[in-house]
Amino acid sequence: MLSADFVIATAIGYVCLLFVLAYFGDRRARANPRSWLNSPAVYTLSISVYCTSWTFYGAVGNAARSGLEFLTIYLGPTLVFVGWYFLLRRLVRISHLHRITSVADLLSSRFGKSSRLGVLVTCIAVVGIAPYIALQLKAVTSSIQAIAGSSEFGQGSLAGIDDVGLAFGVAAGMALFTILFGTRHVDAKEQHHGVVAAIAFEAVVKLAALVAVGVFVVFIGGGFEAIFSRATEQGIVVDTTSSFDSRWITTLVLSIAAIVCLPRQFQVTVVENSDENHLRVAGWAFPAYMMLMSVFILPIAIYGLTVMPQGANPDMFALTLPLAAGQNGLALFAFIGGFSSATSMIILESIALSIMVSNHIIMPLVLRFSTAPQGGEGQGVSRLLLTARRLSIVLILSLGFFYFFFTRDSDALAPIGLISFTAIAQFFPALLAAIFWRDASLKAVSAAILAGFVIWAWCCFLPSFQSVSPAVSQLLTSGPWGLSWLRPEAMFGLTGWDPLAHAAFWSLSANVVILTLGSLLTTPSALERIQAQAFVDVFRRGTPQQNFVRGSATANDLFFVAERVLGERRAAALFEVEARESGVDPAVLDPTPEFIGRLERELAGSIGAASAHVMLSKVVAGGDVSLEEMMQMADETQHAIEYSQQLERTSAELRLTARKLEEANAQLRELDSQKDEFLSQVSHEVRTPMTSIRSFSEILLEPGELDQSQRQRFVSTIHQESLRLTKLLDEILDLSALERGERNWQSAPVDAEAALDRALLVCDALLRQKGMRVEHGKRAPLTMVEGDADRLCQVFINLISNAVKYNNGSDPVVRITSALRTGSYVVDIADNGPGIAKSDGKLIFEKFWRGVSGGGDQGGAGLGLAISRQIVARMNGTLELVPGPLSGACFRVRLPVVGRA
Amino acid sequence: MFLLTAAGLLLFLPPIAYIFNHRIALFGVPQIVVYLFGVWFALIGGTAALTARLEPDSAGDDS
Repeated sequence: MLSADFVIATAIGYVCLLFVLAYFGDRRARANPRSWLNSPAVYTLSISVYCTSWTFYGAVGNAARSGLEFLTIYLGPTLVFVGWYFLLRRLVRISHLHRITSVADLLSSRFGKSSRLGVLVTCIAVVGIAPYIALQLKAVTSSIQAIAGSSEFGQGSLAGIDDVGLAFGVAAGMALFTILFGTRHVDAKEQHHGVVAAIAFEAVVKLAALVAVGVFVVFIGGGFEAIFSRATEQGIVVDTTSSFDSRWITTLVLSIAAIVCLPRQFQVTVVENSDENHLRVAGWAFPAYMMLMSVFILPIAIYGLTVMPQGANPDMFALTLPLAAGQNGLALFAFIGGFSSATSMIILESIALSIMVSNHIIMPLVLRFSTAPQGGEGQGVSRLLLTARRLSIVLILSLGFFYFFFTRDSDALAPIGLISFTAIAQFFPALLAAIFWRDASLKAVSAAILAGFVIWAWCCFLPSFQSVSPAVSQLLTSGPWGLSWLRPEAMFGLTGWDPLAHAAFWSLSANVVILTLGSLLTTPSALERIQAQAFVDVFRRGTPQQNFVRGSATANDLFFVAERVLGERRAAALFEVEARESGVDPAVLDPTPEFIGRLERELAGSIGAASAHVMLSKVVAGGDVSLEEMMQMADETQHAIEYSQQLERTSAELRLTARKLEEANAQLRELDSQKDEFLSQVSHEVRTPMTSIRSFSEILLEPGELDQSQRQRFVSTIHQESLRLTKLLDEILDLSALERGERNWQSAPVDAEAALDRALLVCDALLRQKGMRVEHGKRAPLTMVEGDADRLCQVFINLISNAVKYNNGSDPVVRITSALRTGSYVVDIADNGPGIAKSDGKLIFEKFWRGVSGGGDQGGAGLGLAISRQIVARMNGTLELVPGPLSGACFRVRLPVVGRA
Repeated sequence: MFLLTAAGLLLFLPPIAYIFNHRIALFGVPQIVVYLFGVWFALIGGTAALTARLEPDSAGDDS
């Protein structure tokens, strides 16, 4: 057996080792910021402060008592870290930008730098954590007793001291230790590299110890399989039938909230984080650490249940199993592991809480009651802060001790921890709202947290005193004043639930409902809105906005404030940098709003955002920094953003319009050139017959020896040419009239088939002359279209004569079909001529275009198709070139049908 | 990454976790224990793999 004296001496020695580690770690980190102490591995290990003696001892006990439930405590955090990208990354970024020092600081800073919310959160945290600290005290005490108290011989100097005395000793020792290395100085960002180094070391020790015990147990138990099968033989099975009930969900949710909101977790994960990218490693490494921790818990519990006598405390299996096997060394190692987990938790938790207490309760009080800044104090605030923190550490540990004292009769460890988790979980909805929901307001959040806390105190905290106070147990069974619907463990008649699930359900539901409804009903203040924007949009904006509009404070006043909080050296350095940046002498520095903003964040790192704000407000502008002004500023920014967006839109529109104008211009220019071309073409067309008319008439005019037949021939040429000229001019007039729509156009229902027949009749002579065959395809029934009958006939004649004119094949054929298709009258006129090249497909409808092969001797002016198209267009139809059934071209006229005749 | 987190949450919650809750032993260990640790391990591996593929962000992008 190990003697108690020896065990205690070992524990003290271990603490001294930690102290040395912390001391050198601190110096090393200060001397070299890039040392391995800043590595992601150390960061991850420090996060594992989550695994306290609750894990080390309590989880084994929990596994022995209620099966798999212990796992939820690790699965919840696993989920949070697996999703680090969403929550933790955001939290870390916000905290770095705003120099957040704790959960209370985060919430108070987000909700309008409210000191009241800070106080509320701090008080709840201090009360809520007390059971958790008591758990550690209880674990250490029981472990010392388990390892040494089992024999009279081993009692040593412990003889005669009961567990209360022991716990008191442990608490006092812890307080001393924490004060010694947690509150040596006030840091800009509240980072404690030394402590983190020690915590990381302890993380390794506790993991090694638990794994050692686990391996030992598996070894002497003959392997996993043997352990489980032996247990089954003895009738011990892991009862999983009721594992996945409401309690499973509750503990999962609570642990998710706890890994973020527990003061010490927030401290190590967010505040002590020196590099955002460390989260990448922690995202998988921390869950892996927890998995390693829990792998052996079930075998230890099962094996313990199998071999240990009835009534042995399952919480202590990790210790008593090696002891029972006579492995004193291993037992001592296990003890040190459990001790490690307890000390690291107590140290960090009380440091984190003491920062909250001093920044949110003591500082605001001091600020409120101190009048104008007193002279000659130098490091005043800094020293005051340290004293406040030391006092709060003592207070926190005493609270833990008292809780332990009052509830020492309850035996299991895990339920105590869950009480704390439920209290801390009350911050979670507010925290999520703080960083994701712009509309969450201070009043709603305060009310929600308070309501959740009250229900927690009633349903969860109070019942834990059941065993010591008859009044409480009376209350539990019949409710206050006999009101049975207010019984703490069966609120509103909700009986039959597990007490924890019951408490968590009511407190968190009330919390969330009040938070949501309250935020929707209340309007946040100006400062809240500014902060909300800065927090919610943290990844959109670089640095937080400054909150002081006009810097009417002198540099002297500011320096005085900074010196009181930060100490002379750092304050001076800060001011010098600013002076150098703005290029003036430090003595005549004119503080800009940006500088004041930076100073505020710097101060916030030491005394919390709310206090820093109050402190600077006192100096800047005589304390009346108008919120309206800030509001206005925020609005102006908003307006500026909107305005610039508007400008952007307008300029895009302008660009579009400009492009359209350009297009229109190009079109116009093209039309213009087309007109020029048309004119030149017309003059050319007119000029050819005119020239021949003129020259022939000149010959005739000359008195000479022309005989009658020659004379006759010349006159008839002149006649022909003038006819051609007239025809040309007629066509031009016709076309321009059609284009302008001025001609007297008769619009009446017309028998289209009749028009087609008439056109064929007219062309008959032409066809015969050329020896062209007409192939009659299918014809449509009698169809009426709206338009001018003569004009329609003209179109058909035109198309047919074109087919004739340009066809110089040996067996010329024109094929004419007409049909009714989906309400349209369609006529196809196809030929087997040379066809029209694809590239000319568009040109053929242009004026004066003549088929290339046809040359200029076909007698047309090249206006036929243009006129036909105009006519068809006037009749709301289309004329187009389509791929035809014959080798040549195929023109298709499509006209809308009006009712049948 | 969001999918991974959501899947993890779903797999740990009653309806699905319950499916694997039978009195069957795999390698001498109850099936549900193997299942929970298996999912856990998969989550850790998945996160490690995903994180490695994620670009380190210095400017801060929100996606």
